[in-house]
Amino acid sequence: MSTNMTIHLRYWRQSGPTAKGYFEDRTLSNVNEHMSFLEMLDVLNEELQLEGKDPVEFDYDCREGICGSCNLVINGQAHGPKKGTACCQLHMRNYFDGDHITIEPPRASAFPVIKDLVVDRSAFDRIIEAGGYVSVKTGSAQEANARPIPKNDADLAFDYAACIGCGACVAACPNASASLFTSAKISHLSHLPQGDVERNNRVVAMVEQMEEEGFGDCSNFGECEAVCPKEISIAAIADMRRDYVRAVL
Amino acid sequence: MISLNAKIPEGPIEQKWSRHKKEMKLVAPNNRRKYEVIIVGTGLAGGAAAASMAEMGYKVKSFCIQDSARRAHSIAAQGGINAAKNYPNDGDSVWRLFYDTIKGGDYRSREANVYRLAEVSNSIIDQAVAQGVPFAREYSGLLANRSFGGAQVSRTFYARGQTGQQLLLGAYQAMMRQVELGGIEYYTRHEMLEVVIIDGKARGIITRDLVTGEICRHEADAVILATGGYGNVFYLSTNAKNSNVTASWRAHKKGAMFANPSFVQVHPTCIPVSGDYQSKLTLMSESLRNDGRVWVPRKKGEDRHPNDIPEDERFYYLEEKYPSFGNLVPRDVASRNAKVVCDQGLGVGETGLAVYLDFRDAIARDGKDVIAAKYGNLFDMYANIAGEDPYSQPMRIFPAVHYTMGGLWVDYNLMTNISGLFAAGEANFSDHGANRLGASALMQGLCDGYFVLPSTIGNYLADVEPGTSYGTDHLAFESAAKQAQDSIDRLLNINGKRTIIDFHRTLGRIVWDKIGISRTKKGLEEAIADIRSLRDEFWTNVYVPGEKNNYNKYLEFAGRVADFFELAELMAMDALDRDESCGCHLREEFQTEEGEAIRNDEEFNYVSAWEFKDRNGVLEEELHKELLNFEFVELKQRSYK
Amino acid sequence: MPTIIKALQSQVGRKLMTGITGIALMLFLVVHLAGNYAIFASAEAFNIYTQKLESLGILLYIAEAGLLFFVLYHSYLGISIWLGKRKARSSGYEVYKSRGGASRQNLASRSMILSGITILVFLVVHIWSFKFGETEMIMSADGEPMRDLRQLVIDSFTTWYIALGYIVILSLIMLHLFHGAWSAFTSLGVKNKNNTHAFKLGAYVFAIVLMLGFIFIPVYIFVTGGMGSLIAY
Repeated sequence: MSTNMTIHLRYWRQSGPTAKGYFEDRTLSNVNEHMSFLEMLDVLNEELQLEGKDPVEFDYDCREGICGSCNLVINGQAHGPKKGTACCQLHMRNYFDGDHITIEPPRASAFPVIKDLVVDRSAFDRIIEAGGYVSVKTGSAQEANARPIPKNDADLAFDYAACIGCGACVAACPNASASLFTSAKISHLSHLPQGDVERNNRVVAMVEQMEEEGFGDCSNFGECEAVCPKEISIAAIADMRRDYVRAVL
Repeated sequence: MISLNAKIPEGPIEQKWSRHKKEMKLVAPNNRRKYEVIIVGTGLAGGAAAASMAEMGYKVKSFCIQDSARRAHSIAAQGGINAAKNYPNDGDSVWRLFYDTIKGGDYRSREANVYRLAEVSNSIIDQAVAQGVPFAREYSGLLANRSFGGAQVSRTFYARGQTGQQLLLGAYQAMMRQVELGGIEYYTRHEMLEVVIIDGKARGIITRDLVTGEICRHEADAVILATGGYGNVFYLSTNAKNSNVTASWRAHKKGAMFANPSFVQVHPTCIPVSGDYQSKLTLMSESLRNDGRVWVPRKKGEDRHPNDIPEDERFYYLEEKYPSFGNLVPRDVASRNAKVVCDQGLGVGETGLAVYLDFRDAIARDGKDVIAAKYGNLFDMYANIAGEDPYSQPMRIFPAVHYTMGGLWVDYNLMTNISGLFAAGEANFSDHGANRLGASALMQGLCDGYFVLPSTIGNYLADVEPGTSYGTDHLAFESAAKQAQDSIDRLLNINGKRTIIDFHRTLGRIVWDKIGISRTKKGLEEAIADIRSLRDEFWTNVYVPGEKNNYNKYLEFAGRVADFFELAELMAMDALDRDESCGCHLREEFQTEEGEAIRNDEEFNYVSAWEFKDRNGVLEEELHKELLNFEFVELKQRSYK
Repeated sequence: MPTIIKALQSQVGRKLMTGITGIALMLFLVVHLAGNYAIFASAEAFNIYTQKLESLGILLYIAEAGLLFFVLYHSYLGISIWLGKRKARSSGYEVYKSRGGASRQNLASRSMILSGITILVFLVVHIWSFKFGETEMIMSADGEPMRDLRQLVIDSFTTWYIALGYIVILSLIMLHLFHGAWSAFTSLGVKNKNNTHAFKLGAYVFAIVLMLGFIFIPVYIFVTGGMGSLIAY
């Protein structure tokens, strides 16, 4: 009842961070429409290994669209063609028999390639380190319901907190900017009274760190929002700028 | 003979933890920086522990296999986290949460640990809210609750269907703050391969840098394993692909006892398998059972579209069998019943291995908008994976391996039988007995990480001379590093014909068929034989690609699968030992005619703690029994009727 | 907290200043357009208007210096952002495609640097010809000599290639504003989740109305050969 397809793959190979990369081509037959995109790559890797060749390395973990490990750029689109979907949740039924698919790692100087399609996204950790938290020590919290938070604020905060840190925003941005990632955390916390205390320091420190990591400027292309698996709005970026101005003034 | 002392404090159950906290030794703040603590794993337990201990002033070294602490699999927990806040005023209390958890675990957990868990639960919510975790709220601005399986009160706090993510990010952010402040040395893409034990105490670990392949040595005054569960022994499970048992298992082989390995929870609401290529199963939060009704057609071989099957031809088997809990029976009961109806040939879908979960009535009652607000992301996820619209037709669901109650044996302080080696979260065995209630895993991970370990670690470290160091060229480090390197070399040198995934998939089928939802003596004995022969083939015919000095994910998998083989054998041994049915563990020989589990408290009211002896072709393990003493709860046959 | 200078050099500061200078330049365009329509008011209005402007003296120099500063700062920021992106992505994609949907990647946003540089070059020519270029001198009503810019406009726009060139440039400015007018407000942090569409729509309407306003003059002059009845003689 499910149909099989032939898919022509073209994927990036790079043996290490400093090695020169190249594209490799391979055709897979018997790609089932119900497979996820990553399961298709599993099949590719099984084939390669049976021929004694090295499998293609790519990052993944939960395969349910929440851990943010996978971050392939598929036919020029971060996470592929489907709106609000990480590539681990992209199914082959979105493709047709005979399709050509090019798979590249996210390309950004701040995300150096480790091997093949695997990149180093530790820059994101460092942006959070710079201030993406509420400085509350374990044990020092007050009773949870002591401070009511309007439902709308909590919901809005959640919208931004939903970021999975995959880096698709950076991958898709024509400038390789990390503004959506950075601002999503800033907006999450600044919509809550808990995050308000450190609001000024947070935005300045995180913006500085983002720049130090070598991400590009934001030109309001909005491509980040379009590819974000959690569909986080670039209104977050406007929030970040407002907060920044407020902090500086 | 190792003695098993659970070190449960004296006194009434309500006072054990506070009394223990009062009596435990402390490390003075200025001395804490002289102690190094290694924490492996950065999920809820590991992340919370790392942040909390660094805040206290300990020098923490944190390790994870992913590229960031934020990716630990706690992130995928959907439904929620329990706490005894009693905000809805429906009669909840610490006692009731404790009681429900003990009962839900089918009386195979330790009273004192569970009571502490219930007691601490409220502080977890406070802590998370203070961190900015955006829990669902009412229009009043106060926190919202929902009900979950195995409880008759609404005590589950949630953040849409991404509660685990939000809680983990809270812990992760607290951790990152400590990384910035220098309290945590942070190692990502590092896999722990060995524990280093010197003079009977855990003094460090050996890791492999997954990017460079380098074997690294790390020394510390205590080691905490918060490395999650072993559900991936089944190959197909709801676990993340990288979740594994290696850290726990290697510790086990160094002497740490492994408790209740056969206690594996099968989650009732997962999206069914569609083909051989399937790499993992996707769970949908059990909260769906609040509004969804589970049914199968009454008639075998039913081929009508579910929407065309009239009401009286639908078999709402949970509601009929368990009128008071209905669709909200605990997970094990729900899973087993799904298997029973499918075994009777009433299953639906292409494979016949699925039941319906139907929202028709809930949508008619509350409106599509209300249902969408509650479960929107779950419905979208289902539609994306299954290619069907759950608003207009019932979902198809089937049970899948989800959580492992078993794990490293720990005492009340969460210390294993090896001094200085602790285990937290899903990696230990302590709180869920033979079955875990929904929304309790997040609670336990955070309880261990935020509130238990930061207290109990001081009690241990107070007896360790500050500044003790044996140096990483100590013989124990040398030999552990060599051991780690040798096993990698051995795997790379086999150069066989079958792929690692092929072996893993085959192992998974054996374990699912014979050590899965229901077990028999015969099946378990067959499983052991099958596992052994497959393992022998693995060690002569597996193909491990690539090099050791480079990023090589399949090499990582090979080591993990090798450990799963041994664990699988132990699981079968454990299931075979337990001649009773309890919680998730259903031995077909021990059930009533109606298919209800028969527990045997006379003979099996104990925790099975297995001590590794040897592995010469066959796995040799010695069973130790920690008898469970129920002082405060009366042992009853579980009933959800 | 960073100093104002340092803040202005940050990514947020740079973008903010791009927005502020952009908005200032847009406002200037509105004033400029209003001035242009003096050509329809009376035979002398346009020249009197330009004469008045030139007689502002020091005020005009301040205004001009300000404008020049905005133009240069805006250009500098635009170019440095463009250079920065080449650094932030040192090796590009073999295949790159916009996802569409919420994306604002389109001809306008992708060509900001090109439209911007072209506009900059045009500005130089434009200022050269109208400010410093040779013009016939005529007598004003009160007997003072003044530059006949009105005739220069009419002469220019009856020449087909100048009219066409002007129209092309103005279309480029419109394109620049399609993205710029919306983007400026996002850069200033005015945008939120609910007003996105309003800003996007507003940007289009603003850019189109403004440009139609500008383009009407050359089109009208060209079509009527400079003899149209709307132009007051």
